[in-house]
Amino acid sequence: MFLEARDLTKRFSGLVAVSHVSFSIDQGEIVGIIGPNGSGKTTLLNLMAGLLPPTAGLVVWKGRAIQRLRPDVIAAQGVVKTFQNPQVFAELSVFQNVQVASHLALKRRLGSWRGLEVLGAARPAERRLRERVSEVLTLCDLTPATNQLAGSLSYGEEKMLGIAMALMCEPELLLLDEPASGLGREEVRNLERVLDKVHAAGTTLCLVDHKIGFLRGLADRVIALNHGEKIAEGGPEQVLNEPAVIEAYLGRGHA
Amino acid sequence: MTQLVLGQVLNGAIVGAMYGIIALGITLTFGITGIVNFALGEFMMVGAYATYALAERGGVPYPAAVVPACLIAAAAGYLSNKAFFRFTRNNLVNGLLVSIGLISLFESASMLVWTATPLEMHHVLPGSLRVGDLGLPKMKLVVFGVIVAVILATYLGLARTWLGRAAFAYAQNPEAAMLMGVHTPRLETAVMLYSTGLAGLGGALYASLYSLEPAMGGVYVLKGMEAAILGGIGSLMGSLWGGVILGIIEGVGSIFLPTAFRDAYGLTVLVAILLFRPAGLFGEE
Amino acid sequence: MGQALLWGALYALPLFVRSDFLLTIFTFTFIYGILAVTFDVIFGFTGQLSMFHPAVFGVSAYTTHLLVTLAGLPFWAATLPSAAAAVMLSVVVGSICFKFRLKTFYFAVVTLAFAEMIRLIVLNWNSVTNGTLGLVVAGKPTIYWPGHGVVPIKGPVAWYYVTLVCLSITVLLCARALRSWMGRAFAAIRLNEDLARTLGINVFRYKLLSFAVGNALASFAGGLYGYYTGYIDPGYLSINQSMEVLAMVLLGGQGTLTGPIVGSLVLTGLPHAIDLRAEVRSILYGGILIFTILVMPRGIVGTLGAWRARRVP
Repeated sequence: MFLEARDLTKRFSGLVAVSHVSFSIDQGEIVGIIGPNGSGKTTLLNLMAGLLPPTAGLVVWKGRAIQRLRPDVIAAQGVVKTFQNPQVFAELSVFQNVQVASHLALKRRLGSWRGLEVLGAARPAERRLRERVSEVLTLCDLTPATNQLAGSLSYGEEKMLGIAMALMCEPELLLLDEPASGLGREEVRNLERVLDKVHAAGTTLCLVDHKIGFLRGLADRVIALNHGEKIAEGGPEQVLNEPAVIEAYLGRGHA
Repeated sequence: MTQLVLGQVLNGAIVGAMYGIIALGITLTFGITGIVNFALGEFMMVGAYATYALAERGGVPYPAAVVPACLIAAAAGYLSNKAFFRFTRNNLVNGLLVSIGLISLFESASMLVWTATPLEMHHVLPGSLRVGDLGLPKMKLVVFGVIVAVILATYLGLARTWLGRAAFAYAQNPEAAMLMGVHTPRLETAVMLYSTGLAGLGGALYASLYSLEPAMGGVYVLKGMEAAILGGIGSLMGSLWGGVILGIIEGVGSIFLPTAFRDAYGLTVLVAILLFRPAGLFGEE
Repeated sequence: MGQALLWGALYALPLFVRSDFLLTIFTFTFIYGILAVTFDVIFGFTGQLSMFHPAVFGVSAYTTHLLVTLAGLPFWAATLPSAAAAVMLSVVVGSICFKFRLKTFYFAVVTLAFAEMIRLIVLNWNSVTNGTLGLVVAGKPTIYWPGHGVVPIKGPVAWYYVTLVCLSITVLLCARALRSWMGRAFAAIRLNEDLARTLGINVFRYKLLSFAVGNALASFAGGLYGYYTGYIDPGYLSINQSMEVLAMVLLGGQGTLTGPIVGSLVLTGLPHAIDLRAEVRSILYGGILIFTILVMPRGIVGTLGAWRARRVP
């Protein structure tokens, strides 16, 4: 068991966004989370990444409860999340954006000797890291935009940049919040390709998305939420055909 | 001892009211137009010297000199806004820089005209009122009364009228306000005129009690800023309360602790408020 | 490149310029330049509007002098404990401010409040600081000059080079730091704190680091200024110093390392270059500031940089 959510609950003064949700993610899996708007999917991811403290319940990562840790500590532990509305450093170039994201990677390689990099005495490590940045950009098809300002990118490119930055953090578990939303068909295919490669390289993925076709092809397991509660769990075909899930999306009368 | 404390409380309240009128100017300007007018103290200085010029040199009786002095200060405010301040909306750093420039300009101009020698007006209203064992100078009571009345009037004027609602609509969303028929540039000008006029009034009242120096604006704008933050930026009555509380803290603090650190007592409370309740005593989160 | 030309010109200047007056202006420019550059690290690069610089400037001036006169330390050795004092103050004040996650305006106010409190202490601690009367600095710092042994720094040319070297070292250190992961963390914090956190950057720690490093390097300016002018008084810690430094950085160009130096040159030099009464000079000073904001919001260096970038096809 890699990550386990135990009885997670999140209340926002009266509104219950997530209610007693429990599930687990094993290493190497691709888990999808689906549900209609307002079912608590984004809140659930935020709870897992430490961006929100839960009202009740635990998030256990590799045996350690992480739900109240700072986001930067959780990222250092290997759990990294992307944003539905892409968050980038608009005034920096695409390359610089991913370079900033190499903070953790540098820390892992040089440890307490990072001071050397400041003094310019760690040229080899610096160079290797820059190469790694280029690799990540190539993987995400962003090489043509390397020196472009992040603020001038198209929506799809910005989303890809967000993923590139998350990848640069070398996550063991990558949480993706609606990575395909707002993307055209071609872009979604690219995204699938990138996620396949990332998964093949050993990263565990957990995605939230609306596009059922996209998830269906990608996920090993799917969890369905509605009104903050888990209503189904299992293989994609099984879950997508469950009456409760169909009812949640299309309303009563279609089950 | 209680006499001493009471005396300092009352005195502090009066000084605090003066802080409060500057605080009101700051809060109004920032709250409605998003402009940080750190040079507000200079308009107070303009009002003070204008009052001096009219009353001492021009022979105009004091009460009649106050209104023109306010108008002069407001005119200076209008010019400053037209030329500079309106470009610094919602930009704290630019507003600060423009303010620094204006402070330099105003102070130096004042030095040229009046020199650095402190100037004093003849007693406007001599004599004190005896309250028990305490003697409260009558003029100080008048100053306090006028300031409280003006702040109260401003509050009522804005809280209850159409103009006030328009002002706050503009503060929330300028484009929407414009679409709803609020004439936004005129509103901005009005706020600037009023806040600098208020500062001028503060200066005119100040002139009746204390001696004038070109650098007086600097101290008061800082205190005004402190009072505005203490009371809560955006809260009109808060600026009066913030000022009065600040004045009292400084006064009472000076009894039990060294007077030399007078300013530090208010600052300490200010820091504590900012850390634990940044919205101030009466502000909204 | 422009940078090399600039520094080359500065180092070569005394060969062509004989005027003591001009050399003095440049010396003041360099000392204030140290303050401005280090302030820009905290403000322009990390995005924190600190009003704490005067406190560090003043405290280190007093500390350096007191260590020399009371503890008999040579000048350069005395600057190190002063820098350490600056770091300690920064850690205390910075921890409070950053722990409470104060937003820009409130951070400025709280640092200003702390600076004022320290100024009041300095002003009233008569036994140590001599209060408003200030301290007269009689000695001169000494350096080892090959062939001459240990000599005191005297005369406009000597001071010019000493302060220029100090400024150069400061800029070099800052440039190195800013080009590294440290600088990238600072930029991330300035641009989008929340995003920085999700990428593993400990925002509190790096804000504190920027604050401490900026203030520690600024402390050297305090020691130099005291010994150059020969007089230290509580005015070193006044809010006006904050305004001056902010103005220099905004005028010259925030977020750059040469900008603050250019700003320092203009604001230090121009008022003296124009032979007018002090008050008229101040009026001019105010005018220059306002003009800059309205016409060149990115400062001199920033605007030049943008202009050049546009001309490149």
